Amino acid sequence: MSGLADLTLGFIPLTDCAPLVVAKAQGFFAGEGLEVTLSREASWATIRDKVSVGSLDGAHMLGPMALAAGLNGGAAMLAPLALNQNGSAITVSSRLATQLREIDPKGMAAPLITAAPLARLVEQRRGQDAPPLTFAMVFPQSMHNYALRYWLAQAGIDPDRDVRLVVTPPPRMVEHLRSGEIDGFCVGAPWNAVAVDEGLGEVLIKASQLWPGGPDKVFGLTATWAERHPGEMRAALRALIRASAWADEPGNHAELVALLSRPDHVGVEPEAVARALRSEIVFHRNAAGLPRREHALWFLSQMARWGQVRPELDLEAVADAVYRPDLFREAAASLGPVLEPAMLFADAAPPASGLFDGTPFDPVKALDYAAAFPISRVRAEV
Amino acid sequence: MDPDPSQPPPDGLRAEGMRVLVIDPDSARAALVAEGLAGVQPLEVRRAATFDEREVAAFAPDVVVIAADSPDRDTLESLREAGQHNPRAVVMFVDRSEPGLAEQAVRAGVAAYVVDGLAPARVRSILDVAMSRFALTQQLRGDLAKAKADLESRKTVERAKGLLMKERGLDEDGAYRLLRKLAMDRGKPIGQVAADLLAFAGVLKGDAS
Repeated sequence: MSGLADLTLGFIPLTDCAPLVVAKAQGFFAGEGLEVTLSREASWATIRDKVSVGSLDGAHMLGPMALAAGLNGGAAMLAPLALNQNGSAITVSSRLATQLREIDPKGMAAPLITAAPLARLVEQRRGQDAPPLTFAMVFPQSMHNYALRYWLAQAGIDPDRDVRLVVTPPPRMVEHLRSGEIDGFCVGAPWNAVAVDEGLGEVLIKASQLWPGGPDKVFGLTATWAERHPGEMRAALRALIRASAWADEPGNHAELVALLSRPDHVGVEPEAVARALRSEIVFHRNAAGLPRREHALWFLSQMARWGQVRPELDLEAVADAVYRPDLFREAAASLGPVLEPAMLFADAAPPASGLFDGTPFDPVKALDYAAAFPISRVRAEV
Repeated sequence: MDPDPSQPPPDGLRAEGMRVLVIDPDSARAALVAEGLAGVQPLEVRRAATFDEREVAAFAPDVVVIAADSPDRDTLESLREAGQHNPRAVVMFVDRSEPGLAEQAVRAGVAAYVVDGLAPARVRSILDVAMSRFALTQQLRGDLAKAKADLESRKTVERAKGLLMKERGLDEDGAYRLLRKLAMDRGKPIGQVAADLLAFAGVLKGDAS
């Protein structure tokens, strides 16, 4: 008997739930003395609510959701581990891709496809009084919402006025693309690959191009839970870090694909899962697990930019309360002998300088950054 | 609390009948809701396997009934958050629930959270309460938004007054009278005229790019 409490952890059917699924299947949780039940959940709101009230001990969570959870009187969350970098992408329907190629062949052939061709189409459609194009993402507080908005706005498309943005659950993205209900989406793996494999869509830009090393999901739990269960939290972090390292190892990918494709996990064709693992998603390398302050502040800057939080909010205080690199480092360092030499993170590389358009981001001036975009909802206080 | 004559009473919806959308892949629940609402006239209960925003907009239901474990929850929550098209009272049901989950769901904007399934005998009262609570919340949100807008408008007027005092050498009273005259001449609210004035002043100073 380890003396540790049994845990129930939630996840959403997406490739980046891998660290949780692997930690359970490969016995990393058991190796830490933890008996863990995984609970597949249907919506991010349910994940947040169940973690908030303690019916889940922790969960696969959207980074911005962990940051926003405590802002409106909800339970304060912690993110002591980042689950992955990259994996998501912006995909448009084949029909829309064809139109974009007609209107702007050069822009669509560029190595980095911006939303400039789309901006021309939006302009043309406005002239024809055509209804706005509809794009889907997974939740208002998600990397996918901010990535899509950033990409659109960078080309001068106002995401609130020039197109229609809707929330669609990840497993429904592909069928909504097929039915024509949406024209494109930003979602995590494997759903972009599924759309491509079914001949329904084309990927225009991947997360790794939009922001090399950019953030995505975290392991989230409440601050109260962490305070009451420090032993369990440390054990869970150690197991998840080992699972992340295992999941990055190309030699383990066949097994990981089989595991994730199972109907009780993600439940899609193995090839669709394999694609993002080969080239895109990172769980552990390059200190991917470190929940970085600058990532939290970038998320918060986008919440301010799009009017989700008031500009008076102390963004740095929120980032430091929720994103906890100290907890990650402590757990990772305790694994040193197991995972040497890559695991000490004393000299973790600084994050990539910024997003694809090269606008510099200074984390301590997150609000100024948010306000300086030509398209921004931060009210200019005179 | 005195009734506000400009607002329909919360149960005004009920007097005009009830339109209920049940989002459920299985048709049993919709049948049960219809049974529980027998006697409400006119009544329209529709079922959809999944949430389709356009379909919902066309139907314009008073209440949306949805299982707590439906993936469509995120979509419904995002609509509420954006405070936009067709906000609806949302009733969520679940067969079993852990302590606290109902309160948490209500905090996140769900109008009623029903544990132990949905018995026909309870449907009517649950939906009535959900619609009343939703109407009240909408009104409070509206009041709050108006209060904020009023405050904002007052600040804008103050700034525009300051600008006129500086640029035109007017005293405070004179600046206000000028703003009011501009507003009356143009048939616009004074806050709008003040905002336009500030925006044009910004352009003249080269702020806009």
